[in-house]
Amino acid sequence: MTAASGPAVEAIGLVKEFEKGRRTLWQRLRREPDQRERFRAVDGIDLLVERGEIFGVLGPNGAGKTTTLKMLATLLEPTSGSARILGRDVVREAREVRRRMGAVLSDGRSLYWKLTARENLQYFAALYHVPPGLQKARIASALAAVHLDDRADDYVERYSTGMRQRLVLARALIPDPELLLLDEPTVGLDPQSARDLRDRVREMRTQGRTVLLTTHYMEEADQLCDRIAIIDHGRIVALDTPAALKRTIAATEVVRLEIQGAPMSDPGLVARLGQVGSVARQERQNGVLSLTIHCRSARDFVPAAFDAARAEGATIDHVEVVAVTLEDVFLALTGRELRE
Amino acid sequence: MSTLLGDLRAFAAAGAKEFRILRRYPTLFLGFLFWPIVLPFAYVLQARGFAGDSAEASAAFASRAGTSDVVGFLFLGFAAYMWISMILWGPGTALRTEQVRGSLEALFLTPASRLVILFGPAFSQIVWALYMFGLVGAAMVFVFGIHIGLMEALRALAIIAVSVPALYGMGALFASVVLRFGEVSALVQTVRGVFTAFCGMTFPIIVLPEWGRAVALSLPPTYLIGGLRSALLAEADLVSLVPDMAILLATGLFLCGAAVVAFRTTERYARRGGRLAQY
Repeated sequence: MTAASGPAVEAIGLVKEFEKGRRTLWQRLRREPDQRERFRAVDGIDLLVERGEIFGVLGPNGAGKTTTLKMLATLLEPTSGSARILGRDVVREAREVRRRMGAVLSDGRSLYWKLTARENLQYFAALYHVPPGLQKARIASALAAVHLDDRADDYVERYSTGMRQRLVLARALIPDPELLLLDEPTVGLDPQSARDLRDRVREMRTQGRTVLLTTHYMEEADQLCDRIAIIDHGRIVALDTPAALKRTIAATEVVRLEIQGAPMSDPGLVARLGQVGSVARQERQNGVLSLTIHCRSARDFVPAAFDAARAEGATIDHVEVVAVTLEDVFLALTGRELRE
Repeated sequence: MSTLLGDLRAFAAAGAKEFRILRRYPTLFLGFLFWPIVLPFAYVLQARGFAGDSAEASAAFASRAGTSDVVGFLFLGFAAYMWISMILWGPGTALRTEQVRGSLEALFLTPASRLVILFGPAFSQIVWALYMFGLVGAAMVFVFGIHIGLMEALRALAIIAVSVPALYGMGALFASVVLRFGEVSALVQTVRGVFTAFCGMTFPIIVLPEWGRAVALSLPPTYLIGGLRSALLAEADLVSLVPDMAILLATGLFLCGAAVVAFRTTERYARRGGRLAQY
């Protein structure tokens, strides 16, 4: 890994369009014009990731996170816009970009299960053009970094899902990259394995590497990332540190209420609650009204909520008070929850 | 490390990786012991069943095939066919396997040349081919008493070597189809069928109608099969083999060039449409 100047990642107006539906062979043979509808998976993303930071791209499934990462990783060609990784253009200098970064864009399925961990890494060391004299040390270091050195000579088929995911991370470390791209690195892992992997990612930063990761787990983004870009429908809707993002909500606490007996058509209760807090979300299911309310003090808000419910002839069944999270930031920005 | 040297090492590593994986399925070795010997033997028995000990039939065969050695003729034809099949399937199957396994994107993330990814895994099959030709040669010499001298064997190896670019070129063209359409087996089966019907695997191509001979002479395997038989059964010298070898080499260079262009085009298509990981 060699230190250099300039941003680790720089994307300007990155756009990726895909066609909807399929074009039949008959249409192709007749050279009919392609009239398929196009949709923008990524819609003009500008991104600047500084060297040495852990930068998160947070958004729900289908928001365009993976597409963005694949364009940066040279696996997808942008429809328009440009991106530079460590100063190299991802389209014109794709091979140079690949030489300098490590990426985790797939799960343990992408390993060779009939090979040992060491044999997997030996193969990728050759593909990454690691000089033969350095390969042994590089593989040992990558295995140690993900705490798999004691199982290095076991077949991958005998590994747990978490161990395989760690090995995929070790594979990304083989070129000793200054930049790591990680796409949803903890998806499908049990909580302990996920926590373990996050620890490994933090260590990457202490080694001086830049990490750009995507996730739809707000806790993961909150705990790991120095800065976060919140992405929705292919666009960045907010970008800042986790603390600064949370400060954009004019509240310090979030109250979630479940109310029975609130009149269907009469908006009186919601209006009353809106006077003492900010109703971020309301949903009615099986006669139960669920509300998410941002407020400055739950201690003041909750009694007022009970009074309002009583006045409207409704009953509050459930009260939950939590601190403001990135989920609330996303909700405030998009009107939807991350998990939707 | 220079890029070329790095790619050469990666190429060797790709072949070694495939061979390592193959070694972990030891029952495959039994199949490779069985097919090159038993299958052509069935054709030998079939020929005996049709012609018996008839001197007239033998003479007719010799006049058409250029050799009276039916066993050698069939074993060489079949060995060449197996070699052709291996290489035709090789690059496309390797790419398809990586695609289905989920490792293709991981390979494309590395700076290794696409040619390494395309040809490297199939390189391990050359080891299998040498094993198979060795096995067939041993059966011909020790079981059927056919004389194969060192010079004949070397000339046969030269023919096999010059056929490599042509066969790999075809295999690589099929691999491009994998990136574009995902599935390639139907196409490979069709081409294999054409080779079986026209290239003289189990018959001399002179028995084909005139248009069939024209088709045969346009297909590289015809020259591989014919060259092997000339070298080992008709004891042809190297000079008389040169025209066949030159045709194989020229076709090989053309096919490899076409394959590289086709693969680059389909790779670009896959990178534009996000189809690398789709199957």
